Amino acid sequence: MTGTIIYKELLDHLQSLRFMVGFVLCVILTVSCVIILTHDYSQEMRDYSIRLSMNDDFLEHYAHTNRVRGVLRAYKPPEEFRPFVIGVPRDADLGSFDDNPLPAIFPPLDLLFIVTIIMSLLAILFSYDAVAGERESGTLKLMVSNSLSKAKILLGKWIGGTVSLVIPFLFSILAGGLYITIHPNVKWDSAAWASFFLLILASVTFISLFYLLGILVSASSRFSSTSILTSLFLWVLLVLVLPNLSPYVAAQLYRIPSVNKVEREAMRLTNIERDNLGRKLSKEVNERYEQQYGQIFTEYQSLSKDEVRRRVAADPGFKAMHEAYRKEFYQAWDEANRIQREKADKLRSELVTKADRQNKIAKTLACISPYADFVYVATDLSGTGLRSLSYFKRVSGEYSGLINKYLSKKSEEAAQKDPTFNENTFLDVSDRPRFSYKEEPLKDRLEGVLPYWGILIFFNVVFFAGAFVKFIRYDVR
Amino acid sequence: MLRTIIKKEILENLYSYKFTVITLLTAVLVLTSIFVMYRDYELRLENYEILRPTAKQPVAIIPPTPLSIFAKGLDENMGRSYEIRFGGQVMVGSKQQSVNSLFRLFTAPDLLYVVKVVMALCAMLFAFNTVTGEKEAGTLKLSLSNKVGRTVFLTGKWIGSFASFIVPFLLAVILCVILVTLSPMVQMDGEKWLKLGLFLFSSLLYLAVFFSLGFFISCLTHRSASSLVISLFLWALLVFVIPNLGNITARQFVEIPSVERLEEKREQIWIKEVFEILNKETRSEPDFKNALSNINSENARLIDDYRGRFNRLVDITKGITRFSPTAAFTFLATDLAGTGLLDERRLKQAVLQYKDLVWDRPIDSGGNIIGDFPAFSFQRCPLPEVLSADGFINLIVLILFNIIAFSAAYVAFLRYDAR
Repeated sequence: MTGTIIYKELLDHLQSLRFMVGFVLCVILTVSCVIILTHDYSQEMRDYSIRLSMNDDFLEHYAHTNRVRGVLRAYKPPEEFRPFVIGVPRDADLGSFDDNPLPAIFPPLDLLFIVTIIMSLLAILFSYDAVAGERESGTLKLMVSNSLSKAKILLGKWIGGTVSLVIPFLFSILAGGLYITIHPNVKWDSAAWASFFLLILASVTFISLFYLLGILVSASSRFSSTSILTSLFLWVLLVLVLPNLSPYVAAQLYRIPSVNKVEREAMRLTNIERDNLGRKLSKEVNERYEQQYGQIFTEYQSLSKDEVRRRVAADPGFKAMHEAYRKEFYQAWDEANRIQREKADKLRSELVTKADRQNKIAKTLACISPYADFVYVATDLSGTGLRSLSYFKRVSGEYSGLINKYLSKKSEEAAQKDPTFNENTFLDVSDRPRFSYKEEPLKDRLEGVLPYWGILIFFNVVFFAGAFVKFIRYDVR
Repeated sequence: MLRTIIKKEILENLYSYKFTVITLLTAVLVLTSIFVMYRDYELRLENYEILRPTAKQPVAIIPPTPLSIFAKGLDENMGRSYEIRFGGQVMVGSKQQSVNSLFRLFTAPDLLYVVKVVMALCAMLFAFNTVTGEKEAGTLKLSLSNKVGRTVFLTGKWIGSFASFIVPFLLAVILCVILVTLSPMVQMDGEKWLKLGLFLFSSLLYLAVFFSLGFFISCLTHRSASSLVISLFLWALLVFVIPNLGNITARQFVEIPSVERLEEKREQIWIKEVFEILNKETRSEPDFKNALSNINSENARLIDDYRGRFNRLVDITKGITRFSPTAAFTFLATDLAGTGLLDERRLKQAVLQYKDLVWDRPIDSGGNIIGDFPAFSFQRCPLPEVLSADGFINLIVLILFNIIAFSAAYVAFLRYDAR
């Protein structure tokens, strides 16, 4: 009997105006988005290649240890899911003079928007009259007056309605997937396809949630007109209001110090104060060597690079003094760098700890809304969210460590070959370790999103239970 | 007769469930939005006071505008500090919100957002069954069977319904504006009041567009359920799809280098010059000056190239998105509040002019320019300039949408089968 109800609900929806309008809108939007975003993705890949070769070309001519660490960084390629999900804009906080502020005014359209706004609205439209509408048309009392249990009716309505909602969604997203498959610039591996199917599953959970909300409200109302207004009211609160309020409320509840002030102080510590300390320590080294070597050292300081090379090659005693002095000189500056970097790091880590706490509060507040939970699930699964950014930070930090070791080794080797080698001399880094980015394993991403997915499932259960309780007590006359 | 119809509409709405729900939603949203954005404004003002430069710092920074409480727009971006460093480089400070990653995922819930998204939906919900509802109840044919003309009937319904929709919204907004402007932190002068007034007026125009569209759809259909479906989809199309899709479509016509590429190029420019100068056997004052001048001119070239492309992108985006009243309203509201693309462009030009004034002074070992610097000054765009730039066009677009929507509703109603 449940099967019959499911079939009846399916037929009802498939023949309705809302299904046709929803189907057309969904397909047109999804396919247009995917085509446009895929083109964007191709442009971004091109831009990424240009950046890599610009970087290689620059290092071929201007690599040196003092300033090149900023250039020898890890480059993140465009996320392979960009044709579907834009996620967190990467350049939002680069602090660039030439940024593009348009996305702040008009957030771009992607699959996330289609699911969270269009499909959830469609779900409300499909379900608001599931109970109240049948009561108004008189068919509900006919159904219930038979040996059909209310539980089976509700279950049938839920499954039939959700399936009829999922049809346009699946059709659109698979059309998008087909476009991706044939596009020459998009190459997805099995992990990407697995993420894609998990994303579809998460979307179905989200859509089902709103369908159940509509049924719950319908089972609490006598009239469809009341039901639709209440459903839309709740939809506005859950989708448009609560998530957007959460970071602002969190910023009020837990304040953090001025980011710019901390940055300026950290810069001052690692630049001006570092220079002053470095000069002081290196002056002590100079004074020690002046005392120890006297006139020889004073002469040494005024020699040109070529003269130093000649003396080092000819005089072993001079060579010993030169190498010992250079070692202590750089140790003095390394010490200055270390001390000041520790102070700056302490400042920054205090800020980061406080920011993390504010972040946690905002995330927890936003979790009340299923919209926010779905956004976390979708962006983290697709590798376009905050988790991916943190993962990249970790991985690029490891690469920086590797590069630092490589540069130290190269500098030592170069210094042994050329006694006048310093931090501003050209260094050949063509054999440097190259950064190759691999997305975080799907298993780890899935583990990370399970709590939020769990919340979505929990909402499904709560709304179904609420609808069930309301429907049991519903007066069908 | 017109007055009777208006009175009847108002009374009918006052007793209806939709009026209760929509009024409650309006009140809660407007109050919450303005309260939250006011506190956000306070935080930004505090941050500005902390970062305010002394005479020894070549830093350009502007305070947040109180009108950003109502339309935040790009004010967070514009409130960053711009420090001029050696070689004319402009170092941009981080946004205070940059440490909380959730700000990147969600939109600012300011009054502009409430009006353009939620109130537009409420306007359509108010209007979607004005005609179909009466037809289903059987009262439409009774009303029209008397000597009341369709024109008078439609006009009376429109005015009565719109009045019952808009009055609670206006009351909530005016109350919040009064409360907020009483705060000593919110300094409003005559021009800001005028801009705020114009912002509210354009909100009314904008909501009237959606109200008329709801009316029009109601006059096209014979069942409230059909009218509702079409209204909701039209709302989604006009409020989200056209503006947001227009934004990504415009990018297909103008290729813009990524922000990352520009930043990397900038870094390479100054490292190259410093490297070359430090590796010279003999270095003189003119050599240093030359190097700094090269950095400045290379950066200026990058900026010019980027700005040219970006301005073209903005023009194309505006051209595409103006098919939606939401885009026209957003541009107008943010420009009036001084938080839109117009002021963003002017600010960056002002920063570049300030940079040209101070960049070639002596520098210390940390690359900081030293000396006494004139204070950076910037005035947000005055109202006449806002209107002459794009504001007037956007206002005309909204008025045109109103005329078209109402005319379409009128024509559809004249042909409507009331039986």
